[in-house]
Amino acid sequence: MLQKIKAQQKMGMILVCVILFVILGSRIPNYLTLSNILNVIRQSAIVSLVAYGMAMVIIVKGIDLSSGGVIASCAMISGLMMKAGMPVPLSMAAGLLAGAVMGFFNGVMVEKLEVPAFITTLVVGQVGNGLALILNSGNSLGGFPDSYVFLGNGAILGIPVSDYITFLFVIVAALIMGRTRLGTYIYALGGNATVVKQQGISSAKINYFVFTFSGFCAAAAGILLSAQMNTVHPQQGGNYQLDAVAASVIGGVSMAGGEGKVYLALAGALVIGFLRNALNLLGLHPYYQNLVVGVIIVVVVAVSMYSKNKQLEADQVF
Amino acid sequence: MGKKFIKDYGCVVIFFIICVIASIAIPRFLSFNNFMTIIKQASIPIIVCVAMTMVLMTGGIDLSLGYMIGLASIACGIFIKSMGMPIAVGILLTLLIGSAFGLLNGICIQLLHVPAFIATLGTGYIIYGIAQIISNGETVNHLPEAFLALGKTKVGPFTTTIFVSAVVCLIFYYVLHKSTFGRNLMAFGMNEAASHLSGVNTAFVNLAVYVISGVLSGIVGILLTIDVNCAQPTMGGGNYTFQVITGTVIGGANLYGGKGTIVGAIFGMLTLKVIANCINLANAPYYFVDAIMGVIILIAIILENVKNKKL
Amino acid sequence: MSKVILKMQNITKYIFDAYGKPIHGTDVKILKDVNFDVHEAEVHILVGENGAGKSTLMKILGGIIPYDEGSMELFGQKVSFTNPRQSQEMGVGFIHQELNLCQNLNVAENLFLGRELSGRVFSNKKEMYKRSREMLMSLGFDIDPRTKVKNLSTAQQQIVEIVKVISYDSKLVIMDEPTASLTQAEIDHLFEIIRNMVKQGISVIYISHRFEELKEIGDRLTVLRDGSCVGTIDMKDFDHDKVVNMMVGRTLTKMYTCTHTPKENEILRVEDLRIGQGTEPVNIHVNAGEIVGIGGLVGAGRTELAKSIFGARKYFGGRITYLGEEIHGQTPRRMIEKGLMYLSEDRKIEGLVLPMDLVCNISLASLPRIFKNTYIKKDVEEKMAREMIGEIDVVCNSSRQLASTLSGGNQQKVALAKWLVTNPKLLILDEPTRGIDVNAKAEIYEIMDRLAGSGVGILMISSELPELIGMSDRIYIMKQGTISGELTDHKEFRQETILAYTI
Repeated sequence: MLQKIKAQQKMGMILVCVILFVILGSRIPNYLTLSNILNVIRQSAIVSLVAYGMAMVIIVKGIDLSSGGVIASCAMISGLMMKAGMPVPLSMAAGLLAGAVMGFFNGVMVEKLEVPAFITTLVVGQVGNGLALILNSGNSLGGFPDSYVFLGNGAILGIPVSDYITFLFVIVAALIMGRTRLGTYIYALGGNATVVKQQGISSAKINYFVFTFSGFCAAAAGILLSAQMNTVHPQQGGNYQLDAVAASVIGGVSMAGGEGKVYLALAGALVIGFLRNALNLLGLHPYYQNLVVGVIIVVVVAVSMYSKNKQLEADQVF
Repeated sequence: MGKKFIKDYGCVVIFFIICVIASIAIPRFLSFNNFMTIIKQASIPIIVCVAMTMVLMTGGIDLSLGYMIGLASIACGIFIKSMGMPIAVGILLTLLIGSAFGLLNGICIQLLHVPAFIATLGTGYIIYGIAQIISNGETVNHLPEAFLALGKTKVGPFTTTIFVSAVVCLIFYYVLHKSTFGRNLMAFGMNEAASHLSGVNTAFVNLAVYVISGVLSGIVGILLTIDVNCAQPTMGGGNYTFQVITGTVIGGANLYGGKGTIVGAIFGMLTLKVIANCINLANAPYYFVDAIMGVIILIAIILENVKNKKL
Repeated sequence: MSKVILKMQNITKYIFDAYGKPIHGTDVKILKDVNFDVHEAEVHILVGENGAGKSTLMKILGGIIPYDEGSMELFGQKVSFTNPRQSQEMGVGFIHQELNLCQNLNVAENLFLGRELSGRVFSNKKEMYKRSREMLMSLGFDIDPRTKVKNLSTAQQQIVEIVKVISYDSKLVIMDEPTASLTQAEIDHLFEIIRNMVKQGISVIYISHRFEELKEIGDRLTVLRDGSCVGTIDMKDFDHDKVVNMMVGRTLTKMYTCTHTPKENEILRVEDLRIGQGTEPVNIHVNAGEIVGIGGLVGAGRTELAKSIFGARKYFGGRITYLGEEIHGQTPRRMIEKGLMYLSEDRKIEGLVLPMDLVCNISLASLPRIFKNTYIKKDVEEKMAREMIGEIDVVCNSSRQLASTLSGGNQQKVALAKWLVTNPKLLILDEPTRGIDVNAKAEIYEIMDRLAGSGVGILMISSELPELIGMSDRIYIMKQGTISGELTDHKEFRQETILAYTI
């Protein structure tokens, strides 16, 4: 019975989205064409990548607000290395590594010093943003090798490379979550940390992995973003972490931990992407996009918390 | 006694230690003018540090604070200049907007149980969007002299801005440390369930701190507008919020709720401004400030936690 | 005589805080020279009142907390555990009362948590489902291992937990009140499973309050009382009254002071109050100067009833008349203003603000009454708190000491002091003496008696039968969210009578 209601809720969410997009599609020319869809996926790639890591972190009851800073600083590291004549793969690897290290640091702070995740990640994000400025004295960086730009703007078989990357990452993340023991532990930690401890599973390792993975994903997003722009802007981190939280929550990842699917976070990111795209095509200023995303976040989290509380009330015997 | 003093006023001690180090390392630091600059720079953000201290004491956080400052700035600019309202009405309306968004935060957090950082991040986005939309991304310049005089009039060596700041601090010193509300706030932050069962109106306390935060952000928005003689939607912003959190945490308010003092809020922000001042005097570029502040708050958090673990 | 697999000798444990560390400045023992042994393939029953030390003893065996003195021998090996894992590896399985399963995972994932079967890269889910199914079936439990645990009933979850424990090759399984929330049919099934386990050579330590089950399942029975082992008997010699005597057998008259006499005027009347959507209505009343006990099992709805009256939770219809006036829309704050107080069950979570000092804790509930213009006069506050600390004899170094640094009994006194300074007319005490030592208990009883003598009505929720019997003028017993019995005559105040209404 309960399962039925829940399934209906999920279906309801998807149904609302479908109806919304059909309406938008009928109003906006070229909205539901294949090329626009592929393009939106390409534009959503950055948020999607960040959202995969974010979803995992939220599943273990954490949050990663450092993504913006990681996006800026890691892309800057890669960019500077490329400008210094290093090979593209090596430069990218260095950027990814830097992201992983920053994520790992978050993990250590949360696990060892028991600092609330939102604080340590907020601060690390700030340091990351500052680092991006310091590394190149506050200037942007542009004019990268073709192979790098191809990642962001090229296409294979008519599909943007960014889209392949988006799907590659989601497949890897979904396999980790669904098919490996690590994935089971991540859910278990979010569901009941006491049990995890009693089974002799190291919660530290799980936290380290999750935050490291999130940092890694954010670094990948940053590198992809600067490849798409052919520029590293020191303030390119913006508020991607917020969009990623929104994507995860729209995709049904519970802020209370333990519940959620990574591939649904991709769906959430696409919902935001299509919305932004629609607002854009409708000729609304980007200012409205922020407003809309803010409203969506608050409403979606409020609704999910509300239904969760109702659920708890219903579960009570008395 | 000595131990308790250091525990309660550690930030004051740290402030003086940093001042001593700075005056030894940087010769230009120790001058009356430089000191006045620091006090002037700190006076405005101290107001929101007071608000943030109270929010952190409830175990929450207000990440929309910086954006609220931007909205307040542009709103009062539009009210007073573009719409030509009387100054008092414009200011009142601005503060009303601040309290309304504060209330919105409080409702999301207290009644809808949205985690504070998510709710305030989200409303921050909304507030920022509104500020951009009503201003169309443009600033409002050449504000009326009478309005500017509110903050720029000199009284002795100080401007009125500093007096506003001092009055806010005094009021909230009473509220936080001398009144039943402050006691209830402290109890609420340390143990919500127990205080509710002890008759503390927890919903009121939680809503009130966010409203206070909204109003004080409004005041800061107005003061900053007066300071630069220009109303901007981008005033404040995320970095400002971060600076305020940093100052508050240095001042000893802790992020798990319950602890916090007004003296801490004042000296936390002063410490921060001393450090920024040193970076400035050392001719380091502006962009070092953010990163260094990040590192400072990291150290503060680590020290706080190491201390707690020892106890 | 079968083999002895567990031998605990002279186990002593001092009172400890939430982290298992001993509290400084007290040498109160929760376990005193306890001797306890378990034979191979037996069901050994452990009984005792709340606070007798059963769970502490089992936590020591389960490696959750260490013992301070004595020795423990498991399967012929001297052991001293520092974490639960060690105990688990030695073959001890612990089934806690609050089940330890990940609600968000499915049955198979829970069964294999921490020792998943792996292929080269991915987990071998197919094989895990297959084996889970076999394990479940071997206990006659037909359920899809793909079902999420949160969709199972409590009884089903309990069986999953048992399957999990057995699958760890446990030779000694601790069951802490496994039947507390089961129906009779489910209990029968559980007993069948336990008998099966014994056949396979597994020993079970079975903690329960339900006397009628014991005879059916147990081989031997040990009684703990006030942290000491009173004795072990063979279940062949089981005699109900004898066991009750062993559990209670202390000088009852000395602990309980009873000098007050209830008055005629009624303070509280609750009519047709439903504490849950589907529960039967509750009808109770309390007179001035009367101590009314509420007995019943944990989870029978006693705390819910108290919180409903106090305005701390929603209830589903009914009338509450307090001091002759019908009340609606009550909140804790409003009820406190009217002189109705609720001392919560868990002083650490709901009672005290532990990181605040004693003065602040004591004055917390009376601030709006004393300081009407919001300004806290520190000296007035301090004086009031000190007087109360002296009056009820809180043992502390200073009135500005943090509440977290006190022992349990003194914490409870501070929690009580908070209500006493508000001049209550009706006090609801929820488990007022849980987890505190005997002396503090006696002192709290004395305070209760004094209050009742001065005309305060007291509604006391308690799981400790001797306390109910010793202190109450009248006893209600609750079961499944409603009142299942009322005892008005002191002659009826016997453990058996109360138990009969409880279960």
